[in-house]
Amino acid sequence: MAAPQAPTKPAKPGETSMPVIWAKQLGRLIGAPIGSVIFAFIIGAIIVLITGGDPIQAYQGLFCGGIGLFCTGDLYSSITPALEISSTIVFATPLIFTGLAVALPFRAGLFNIGAQGQLTMGAIAAAAVGIHYASWPGFILLPAVLIVGTLAGAAWGGIVGVLKAFTGAHEVVTTIMLNYIAAFFLYYLLRGGPMQLAGQPEISANVGAGAQLPHFLNGNGQLFGQPIGVYQAHTGILIAFAVAVLFYILLKRTALGYEIRAVGQNQRAARYAGISVKRTLIITMLIAGAFAGLAGGVEIAGLSHQLTIRYATDSTGFDAIAVALLGANAAIGIILAAFLFAALRVAGPVMQGNANVSQNLVDIIQAVILFSIAANFLRTFKIRLPALRQTPPGEDAPMVATTVTELEDTEPSEPAEVGDTA
Amino acid sequence: MQLIGQILHLLITPALWQTTLESGVLLLLPALGGVISERSGVVNIAMEGMMLTGAFAAVAVAEVTGNPWISTLVAIAAGGLMAVIHAVVSIRFRADQIISGVAINIFAFGITAFLNSKITNFQGFNPVKPSAQLPYLHIPILDKIPFFGPIFFDQNIIVYVGLFLLVAVQFMLFRTRLGLRIRAVGEHPQAADTAGINVYSIRYGSVIASGLLSGLAGAFLAIGITNVFNDGMTDGRGYIALAAMIFGKWTPIGSFVACLIFGLGTSIVANNSTLNVSRDLLSMLPYILTLVVLAGLVGKSIPPAADGQPYTPGSE
Amino acid sequence: MKRSRLQFVVIGALLLLLVPALAACGSGGNSSSGPKVKVGLVTDTGGLNDKGFNHLAYVGLQNAMHDFSNVVGSVKESKSDADYIPNLQGFASQGYNLVIAVGFLMAQAVATVAKQYPNVHFAIIDSTPSDANGNSLTLPNVEPLLFHEQEAGALVGVIAGMLEKGGTTKLKKNTISAVGGVSIPPVDKYIAGYKWAAQMEDPGVNVLVGYSQDFSDPTKCKAVANSQIGLGSDIVFQVAGGCGLGALQAADTAGVYSIGVDTDQKADAQNVIASAVKRVEVATYLAIKDVVNGHFQGANEPAFTLQNGGVGFAPGNITLSSDITAEVTKVENAIKAGTLTPPTQRSW
Repeated sequence: MAAPQAPTKPAKPGETSMPVIWAKQLGRLIGAPIGSVIFAFIIGAIIVLITGGDPIQAYQGLFCGGIGLFCTGDLYSSITPALEISSTIVFATPLIFTGLAVALPFRAGLFNIGAQGQLTMGAIAAAAVGIHYASWPGFILLPAVLIVGTLAGAAWGGIVGVLKAFTGAHEVVTTIMLNYIAAFFLYYLLRGGPMQLAGQPEISANVGAGAQLPHFLNGNGQLFGQPIGVYQAHTGILIAFAVAVLFYILLKRTALGYEIRAVGQNQRAARYAGISVKRTLIITMLIAGAFAGLAGGVEIAGLSHQLTIRYATDSTGFDAIAVALLGANAAIGIILAAFLFAALRVAGPVMQGNANVSQNLVDIIQAVILFSIAANFLRTFKIRLPALRQTPPGEDAPMVATTVTELEDTEPSEPAEVGDTA
Repeated sequence: MQLIGQILHLLITPALWQTTLESGVLLLLPALGGVISERSGVVNIAMEGMMLTGAFAAVAVAEVTGNPWISTLVAIAAGGLMAVIHAVVSIRFRADQIISGVAINIFAFGITAFLNSKITNFQGFNPVKPSAQLPYLHIPILDKIPFFGPIFFDQNIIVYVGLFLLVAVQFMLFRTRLGLRIRAVGEHPQAADTAGINVYSIRYGSVIASGLLSGLAGAFLAIGITNVFNDGMTDGRGYIALAAMIFGKWTPIGSFVACLIFGLGTSIVANNSTLNVSRDLLSMLPYILTLVVLAGLVGKSIPPAADGQPYTPGSE
Repeated sequence: MKRSRLQFVVIGALLLLLVPALAACGSGGNSSSGPKVKVGLVTDTGGLNDKGFNHLAYVGLQNAMHDFSNVVGSVKESKSDADYIPNLQGFASQGYNLVIAVGFLMAQAVATVAKQYPNVHFAIIDSTPSDANGNSLTLPNVEPLLFHEQEAGALVGVIAGMLEKGGTTKLKKNTISAVGGVSIPPVDKYIAGYKWAAQMEDPGVNVLVGYSQDFSDPTKCKAVANSQIGLGSDIVFQVAGGCGLGALQAADTAGVYSIGVDTDQKADAQNVIASAVKRVEVATYLAIKDVVNGHFQGANEPAFTLQNGGVGFAPGNITLSSDITAEVTKVENAIKAGTLTPPTQRSW
């Protein structure tokens, strides 16, 4: 049974002013994630302590390396905070896109493990265009690179949607298969295949200058004591924000968004309401693939300017699952979660380089955040923020879980449900 | 024409089928674990992490004790321990089972790599001594049978264990009272509860069983097939096992068929030195094949009805 | 119940935060003589414990820290190639005196960062820095640490060829093999020397070459080696770092010979007959020493060869006959003298 509710006095609705209600809603929304993050850091500290390290030094490294705070003392005063912040923005950018690419299908009851492969295909297509038409002017080439990347990702995601809708093939299997196919295709292209730079396996030539997204900081001088060129934060993050807004509008303000959520809640009910489940599943995966494919395109245009095997070996598409879950499948949550994961990712090497604590501590912390979000330990241990006290019974179910538990919601009693072709 | 000849030649190479069986059983063990867990209604995508933990434990213990059997037992227990976390979080705390699984996988990668760096001071463990490796059995006389000898009678001991477990789990699930209970809990927990079955015990047991099997697979990988531990060495095999399980429609035999397809893929890539084809392109084959088969032949995958849904007594 | 749990957690958390703070107060900074020389090591994706060249570079760094009290070393491991540039910049931006990049695959990243930080010394193992088109660059602040792997490969190739010619190997199909990681110059040079020398000793020998496309997963190299053994290979030369341990194990299981790479690997498998050695740890150490002594060589750094002891071979677990060791010595001397020159390009 659920734990008994905290016996605080229920507030009378009439006495509560709107700001208080908003504050409480905000608290309810972010209380669990923030509590989970704190909980994870405590567990991480225990692990560092047990293994003979110094958690203060380690965490100072994570703050300094991730968001440029507390860069002081013997260990960290040599760090340039602005550079760390810039790197965090760089790593957050693809995580936002792919986080959205995982979250949208979650809303429709689909588990997209395939953001990785969709990103890979997006990067391949974007790089191919950027290299092949390198001489085109930027106002044509840059949009072309991004659009082609988006389309390639959409196609890769669309395969999943079509197979799910017309044959019932489980998206977990199809996305895993498509990830591997995309990865090996990339390896082929860059290891003796047509896109390999001569004599340099695992990387391609550079895309044309016109295909490159501008950096925020440009020039040849120095800034914060470092050459300006090292600040790699690029305008792709603005595209990521725009796509997040698009995601929000799509889900909350359009008929399609309603259909996606309805299908995610209950396919049978959605069908009775006149929604085409098949169409919704396919469109959802097309859009999700487009998000992830755009991530690949933006990374090519904004950061690497060339195709490398990172587009298959980097774990962006898998980290995206954690980002989507931590961000409660909501746009603003995903942005925040992406920045958190990016900051941790950037900070790990700083912590290892300067405090000699293995950067894999970061993975442990990320995992514990997820555990505690999923299990809502905080509720069980009854550590509640004041704003959480008045949560009515039944509303304090794990906020993430509700969207995901419908995942396997296919009814054996209706085998023809999505298999029947029109 | 020449290519066809080369392919035919490859197909009658015993080494091809030997590696196929070995790689297949490596995937089969976690896949069997997944079948048991999901049949009881707990989604398990954490075989990857459980396997990785088992691999780490096996090498760490082998380094200390030099004994493959103790190492394997500890590896099994370590996989089981990870499964206990998954079970507690998803059964006791009714957490979302996919989130928990993703978390287990990240956690297992992080903790094993962290400890690997810490224990060995960033040096990594030495390769495990032959005496501490799970032995290959060369069954006398039988292993001399042309073609079939090397494939079936010249394999690691865990291959035989895995094949035995395949039969045992198939029998257990579909021919025993326990199996009936597991399936009842996974299909309709409320009814099972009403019938006097302890839903929680069955689910805990099933999830932990999946961890034990995955831990065994980890030991097989780290001190049987190879003799080292590398960070993240399972390299997605747990996810392939997951795919194999779904491909096999949540049955042991079906999963094994899928595992063999992936094993054959691995093996063809390894044995392609006679074929003049890009290794990376060849590597795509088993995944494309699976996709095609899934789309064309297997069709709709229907998980156990209560798979992924936390059980709350009295709900419905 | 509720309150006590809450208190427990809060107090526990506070204690956890306090203990290290107190501990930190007690420890003082360590003193060192002379100006500090800060050395940063950036591994490739294999990581520090790759049992290959990342590991050896780390050994070199540790040796330097041991010998020079003013050397301070740090390491950053790269999880994917996306980390190369940030990790290199991380050290350079902190005013490190020397930043060492481990591996051929970092050639472009090193060039990018070295141009941004002309006052920081860089060293890169196995490559020269290269530009976006893959052309190698000469940068005054980058010291390429290059090895003549083909010379080490040739010595073990002599052993393999002599054993095959002697007909004392197990399978008697006059076949030997090499398992490469990815086809990059440091790997291909080893194999080129190996093949060349084996065929010099035994012109009829068949040399199989396979790539695992991986430097860390031993199952991949094991499978490639097994397939080569299935085709009759008596001697398997692994050129794939940590992945190659699988090849050594496959040779042990099948009862054929194996040859280790980069470091003396006779402890890693029973049937290792020799190892082609490339002293990455020495090169790393010397690069650090140059910076400590103010003798940074930049692009003038000479390659590491048999002649200067930068590459060589280590005996294995099987005693070789005297005519084989004599032949190895003969070829070694000829290469040192320049009368024999092993090839560097792949011919397979």
